[in-house]
Amino acid sequence: MASAQSSSKNDGKAVADSKQPEQPTEQKTAAALEEDDEFEDFPVDDWSVEDTEAANGGEGTQHLWEESWDDDDTSDDFSAQLKEELKKVESSKRR
Amino acid sequence: MDALCAEFAGARADENGYDLARTLSPDFPNDTLRAIWQSCNAHDVKSVVKRELSKNVTGMQRLSHQELAGWVEVYHAYWKAVGELLAVQSSWTKVFGAWTELLTALLRGYNAHGFEAWTIPCLYVTGKYLRTFAIKADDERNSGSLTDNKAAANFQDDFNPESEQNATLEDCARQLNKIFNICLNDRAPLDLSRKWGIYYVTNLLFKTYFKFNSASLSKNVLKALSVGRGDMPDLAAFPKSQQVTFKYYEGVLCFLEENYVEAEKYLTEAWNNCYKGHMKNKELILTYLIPCHLLTTHTLPSQKLLEPYPGLQKLFGPLAQSIKRGKLHAFDLALQDSEDEFVKRRIYLTLERGRDIALRNLLRKVFIAGGFEEPKEGDGGKPVRRTRIPIAEFTAAISLGSQETLDDDEVECLLANMIYKGLMKGYIARDRGIVVLSKTGAFPGTGL
Repeated sequence: MASAQSSSKNDGKAVADSKQPEQPTEQKTAAALEEDDEFEDFPVDDWSVEDTEAANGGEGTQHLWEESWDDDDTSDDFSAQLKEELKKVESSKRR
Repeated sequence: MDALCAEFAGARADENGYDLARTLSPDFPNDTLRAIWQSCNAHDVKSVVKRELSKNVTGMQRLSHQELAGWVEVYHAYWKAVGELLAVQSSWTKVFGAWTELLTALLRGYNAHGFEAWTIPCLYVTGKYLRTFAIKADDERNSGSLTDNKAAANFQDDFNPESEQNATLEDCARQLNKIFNICLNDRAPLDLSRKWGIYYVTNLLFKTYFKFNSASLSKNVLKALSVGRGDMPDLAAFPKSQQVTFKYYEGVLCFLEENYVEAEKYLTEAWNNCYKGHMKNKELILTYLIPCHLLTTHTLPSQKLLEPYPGLQKLFGPLAQSIKRGKLHAFDLALQDSEDEFVKRRIYLTLERGRDIALRNLLRKVFIAGGFEEPKEGDGGKPVRRTRIPIAEFTAAISLGSQETLDDDEVECLLANMIYKGLMKGYIARDRGIVVLSKTGAFPGTGL
């Protein structure tokens, strides 16, 4: 894409320019402004499907999401405690 | 200035708007900016630009008289803005003012001087830096004259610090709106239309409105867009950076309106198309996608998904664990621990609703612990879970899970809520002090 090319040319130029590091700090403040939690500009304008998240393991996100419950944790402390409590309820009822 | 004009000619020969836009960037080393500034003076700047443009842009590319006049105004404004950038005494407010004039000259170019549509990246660059300068101007004013502001606050009853703080940015938003309209209302055929600029400037507007917390203004932009969408190019035809950014904001806007199904759709699209290497933006998308998933499909992010993002792990890890295990107390603590972060990101209220899922899982554990009924004849040998569960058992479980003592009435209330929300199927038999759960799908969607 033309736009992608232009941005790579851009990079080349930036490198050439940075060979004169006069007052770099002020330069930074003039151009760079990225907030902590703000959606940032992408370094390139466009990219191919191969470079998307979907093509790189993000697709069919099924395996990236899991069920919200866990049936295999019966061994942990909490489940054991819960069993104890339920037993107590049961026995108090029998009395 | 002659170098800029030569670049102008090159960009025009290729009709490359991005190259052209670079001649209007403030993002050069100071030496370069100073060279531009010193190449002319206030008296001759216009004639220099005019001469250089006429000299460089020749033959077929020759500018019409009208266009030339327009570009002379643009570079004149640019030159003045560069001067403000370099001036020692200058303030960001002044830079913002000069930059606004540059934008005005550009807009006039489109309205009155026949600037062509391929040049719209000039509007992108100008708009983008206008916003940057506006934020700097606001910061400068807010930090510089705090005491003055306080004094003013004491005297004025209707003083609104919030709006005062972002005054320049709000002005900036009005300027950006002009770009939006000039793109939206172009009636030229599509391949020559400024409509191709619409998503870039829309995204810029979103960013700006979000910065001063005005999601409702963003909604207005969306409305204007959907009205004009009929004769607009399809979003898929735009660069992916614009698609992803747009979908992100569209998703977050739906999220803030608690329209989680739509939000999930847009955010998933943003996620799928996102540039794989941009961790920061992927993290932001997930920040909203994870709470969406929790509420719409009751799913949690896997370890694998969170692994590359330590920030998200810290944010969602403990919460997800406690939901999974039905540990209500741990859930409350996790929510409390990151409360500030959650509130800042506006996901607190959404996540809070995840407590229902934690509770569901806890009740589900009670159901599982109850085991199976004695096999009866005619059951076909398939074991049936015990579906009549004493409320006392739920009370014990919830008291344990939340680490506070609840009485049966409170528990009944919680159970009724779960049934109402469709997270549990069954009814409460009050007189007998039991809950009768459905034999088929007592906890819908969880395999039980």
